[in-house]
Amino acid sequence: MQAARPSLDARAWSFWAVTVMIAASLARNPLYTALVLLVTIIVSATNVPVHNNRAILSPLRFALIVIPLSALFNCLTIHLGQHVLFRLPTWIPLLGGPVTAEGLVFGAINGLALTAIFASFAVFNHVTPVRDLVRLTPRAFHEVGVVISIALTFIPQTMRSLERIRQAQAVRGHRMRGLRDWLPIVIPLLVSGLERSMGLAEAMVARGYGAVYEKAQLLRTQALLALGTLALLGGWLLWLFVLLQRGIAMAVMLVGAGIVLGAVWQAGRVVTHTVYKPRQWTAPDTLVVLGCVLTLVILLLPLPLDRNTLYYSPFPSLSWPSFDVFVGLGFLGLLVPAMIGRGGQQPI
Amino acid sequence: MQTRTGKLGEVRVRRLISRAIYMMSGAIGVLAFLYPFFMPTVSPAPLDMAHSQDAPLMTVTLVGLALIALLIELQGQSISAKTVALLGVLIAITSVLRFIETAMPMPGGFSPIFAPIILAGYVFGARFGFLMGAFTLLVSGLVTGGVGPWLPYQMFTAGWAGLTAGWLARGISWLTRSSNGVPSSNSLRLDILVLCLFGFVWGLLYGAIMNIWFWPFAVGPVEQTWSPGTSLGQTLSRYAAFYLITSLAWDMMRAIGNVVLIFLLGAPTLRVLNRFRRRFYFEVNPHAGRSTIT
Amino acid sequence: MIHFDQLTYTYPSASRPALDCLTLDIAEGEFVLITGPSGAGKSTLLRCLNGLVPHFTGGSLSGSITVAEHDPVAEGPQALCQTVGFVFQDPEAQFVMDRVEDEIAFALENAAIPPAEMRLRVEEALHLLDLAPLRDRPLETLSGGEKQRVAIGAALAFRPRILALDEPTSQLDPESAEDVLQALRRLNQDLGLTTVLVEHRLERVLPHADRLVYLPSFDKSKQQVLSGPPRQVLHQIDMTPPLVTLSKALGWDPLPLSIKEGRRFAGAYIAQRQARPSSPAPQAASRRISSQPPILQVKGVCFAYDGATALDGVSLTVGAGNLVVLMGRNGSGKTTLLKCITGLLRPQRGEILLEGKTIAGRGTADICRNVGYLPQDPDALLFADTVAEELQVTLRNQGLEDSPPIVPSDLLAYLGLAGLASSYPRDLSVGQRQRVALGAVTITRPNLLLLDEPTRGMDYQAKQEIVRLLREWQAAGMAVLMVTHDVELAVQAADRVVLLSQGQVIADDTPSVLTASPLFAPQVAQLFPGTEWLTVDDVLKD
Repeated sequence: MQAARPSLDARAWSFWAVTVMIAASLARNPLYTALVLLVTIIVSATNVPVHNNRAILSPLRFALIVIPLSALFNCLTIHLGQHVLFRLPTWIPLLGGPVTAEGLVFGAINGLALTAIFASFAVFNHVTPVRDLVRLTPRAFHEVGVVISIALTFIPQTMRSLERIRQAQAVRGHRMRGLRDWLPIVIPLLVSGLERSMGLAEAMVARGYGAVYEKAQLLRTQALLALGTLALLGGWLLWLFVLLQRGIAMAVMLVGAGIVLGAVWQAGRVVTHTVYKPRQWTAPDTLVVLGCVLTLVILLLPLPLDRNTLYYSPFPSLSWPSFDVFVGLGFLGLLVPAMIGRGGQQPI
Repeated sequence: MQTRTGKLGEVRVRRLISRAIYMMSGAIGVLAFLYPFFMPTVSPAPLDMAHSQDAPLMTVTLVGLALIALLIELQGQSISAKTVALLGVLIAITSVLRFIETAMPMPGGFSPIFAPIILAGYVFGARFGFLMGAFTLLVSGLVTGGVGPWLPYQMFTAGWAGLTAGWLARGISWLTRSSNGVPSSNSLRLDILVLCLFGFVWGLLYGAIMNIWFWPFAVGPVEQTWSPGTSLGQTLSRYAAFYLITSLAWDMMRAIGNVVLIFLLGAPTLRVLNRFRRRFYFEVNPHAGRSTIT
Repeated sequence: MIHFDQLTYTYPSASRPALDCLTLDIAEGEFVLITGPSGAGKSTLLRCLNGLVPHFTGGSLSGSITVAEHDPVAEGPQALCQTVGFVFQDPEAQFVMDRVEDEIAFALENAAIPPAEMRLRVEEALHLLDLAPLRDRPLETLSGGEKQRVAIGAALAFRPRILALDEPTSQLDPESAEDVLQALRRLNQDLGLTTVLVEHRLERVLPHADRLVYLPSFDKSKQQVLSGPPRQVLHQIDMTPPLVTLSKALGWDPLPLSIKEGRRFAGAYIAQRQARPSSPAPQAASRRISSQPPILQVKGVCFAYDGATALDGVSLTVGAGNLVVLMGRNGSGKTTLLKCITGLLRPQRGEILLEGKTIAGRGTADICRNVGYLPQDPDALLFADTVAEELQVTLRNQGLEDSPPIVPSDLLAYLGLAGLASSYPRDLSVGQRQRVALGAVTITRPNLLLLDEPTRGMDYQAKQEIVRLLREWQAAGMAVLMVTHDVELAVQAADRVVLLSQGQVIADDTPSVLTASPLFAPQVAQLFPGTEWLTVDDVLKD
């Protein structure tokens, strides 16, 4: 069971998953998207435990459903393009008009991108145990982390409780016929859950849980949040409605995001608590992140490469997409986890 | 060393800022919902693909940030151990219900998790409702392996469902001017009726919001769907037609499901929750200097 | 070290105080046992030690408390947690995390202890309670006793000077309880940890206690708290373990607290008895054997959960008016057998006959028209708004609303719940709730009653109540099959005892069969080996 590979930090995995999402969304060239999907499948195959081969199958199943559906949606609702397949009568709302091959291809491309995103998150779900994720919660959200821990601990208990109650009610003649018959099951479950929660609260308080934060700090945090959300909202409105000033709009939004994140950091400073076994950040984790950064750099920065190949569009007329080797190599940065990572932890 | 008026002034300022944060993040959510409608009126030349792909990513990021801001604000001063424990247990129970939903074939979009979220928000307040809504979706997503880019949207929307349920409760109690005593069966009936309607509306609304989010991801840049310069009215009508054709049936199942659940099981559940709240939850915590309920 | 002075406390919206002018002193390093009938305020007293009362519970408090130079009322539980470690009754409802190590570390994390220090303390706690082999295990896979040890470990993480435990063994089976109590004794002796323990099962801890505190029930006008060395207090109270009751009746002095101490007196007593002229050999009281046709027949039942055998060819018979007790270690299949009888589980082989007719093919609801089953957790049954409504629910389920086999109000009166017909069931005490649950399953006038651990967590008085009730029902012709760990209860009530081990019946005989095994022998039998005496009455009658 113990492979030679080290296991990767959940933070590295989430960075990877988000990078795949960005890559799949931004690069609409089907060749690149297929490359991203391929990379994801390779990572999945090498990291998700073999007996869990649902992991590889379900993105496939997803693809089989989504790509045709998306193609259908799009070709029926988009009526642009030159290769007309057939015409629908124009009196049908939204669907009427020429149905084009370009629309079909466009839809298929979108489906492909969605599949890549879905596959990356499927990998993420399988390689990061839930408890590790909870441990990642930033300090500002410490209480939220405790809530989630409690919920995760109580889920198996609740299921056992449910079974016990079901049996107890069956013995007094209760039959499950309709929705109303859920009442004798739900109410005892709820009541015992409520009683348990107070017992738990008592145990937590008896162990010293509970802190009162300084009010001055909070006012600062609140003010930052208000400012940040205002900047985000304003910047977005600018972006949408005032097209000439998109640069400024983006800047405002970035500032707003920075302020909100700053507020989070500020809120985290007030929380005094330590972590028992903080997971160490290792060299493989850094490598994974670097690989992702390479991909992001290729995607986002105006480098002297043929970046126009990223933006393929089947409209107005179908044509073959072009491919640039260096840009393609950039996407291989996402392959790092396949080479050095080791999944193999079951969720929960 | 604060004077009395200084302290009062500070409280007022805090409340104002608090409302501002609610409004802004709500506005971001609404904008995320509505922006596709506005695009055609101001869209650039239809083949400008370079920036049009940013829209869905940007929306998810913005909604995610708004969610974070709202969460920090709602966490606020401190969450008492009772609230933490109660939240945890109720989220666990609701998540178990969601397992049942995924295990048994359910009609359409029916999901048994919205009724508990709304009822909990109704009894325990807006803040509790938001936290419960957001984290039920998170926890059940974590456990069923359904974490994905749709999660911020789900959390945000379910959170607002719980939040508005809390506001609804305050509104109802202000209208009927009920005291903190035992609710008579009549007022409970009114509660149930109102909650049924509320559950119906949110059933549809949740679906509509998720649909709109999914639309740009599935169908691509919205500018392509219409020729530029279409008026707002035309866009709306075209979207309405699309919604009717595709997801109305699905969402209607969810909405009707909510109504049925609340109607059949709501009254005893409310009684249990109210009894619990009066007995154990409404304690003055001398440590924090204020009631543990918001 | 701990000093209560004229402490009076009333819960919010309660009509009478829970503690009334209580004065008590506890010295450092003492192992204190607090006992008394239900509702006397023992839990409340314990929670005053670390400030949970009044900070968590509300209410009004007067008088003063000093705990190791701290004032819990002024400082609150957040401050006192470093001085007083607290362990609660329900092992399921104390844990935030899902792994042993993480749970112990949780308290330390909240106090912002530096990581190196945290690791040291967690290791300490694991070592003190023998938890090192369990450190990575998920908490839900542990037994009740192991869970409680983890809870104690978590309480010890702050290196407190006082350990307070609220009925830590009441939800546990005897082996786990023994585990936990041994651990506590070790902690007290090796570390000098002041231990304050609320317990009903006095037998195991009496020999080790330095002080016994007795809180009388609330219907006395003023709370005369009895506090002192165990022997002194035991002379003044009624509800005591059989050994002590017998010793008091026979005038043994100094009062023996353990079997070892009692044997000296017992040997002398036997010798004295045999020296008396023409005294018959000590005999056990004869038990009723039913001559009527059996109500329940279990024949060669086999059941396996996913390949793990739970029952392997079990056969037994219960006749009308008989009370059969089913005993065995944890996991020997007792609850599985009960579930097979009610139809919740279908045995893979063998058959079960109720009143001569097989139950195969019949649904649980149908079977349970004639079988009443009280589950281990009676709260799982209760969901109605009033006690009367609970009974009606069962009647409605079985379609007997219009012609109930027993008039509900009569049954309530019989169970001692007459005035509580319109009370909310969950507000009642543990004993009362159980009787409501009993009512809900017996309203159909079943011929067979199945009881799964009915006396868990109950004090002596409530146990006597249950025994009395069962005896009355027996006399009316009901057959009773009871699963219990409580040996004293078994010898008092049973006509026959069946011992299960690993799914097989290893004994099926009168209660005297229990005397053979040291695991199951009641105290009286342990005192007088070689006789057939099982209860105090047996000894005193002759």
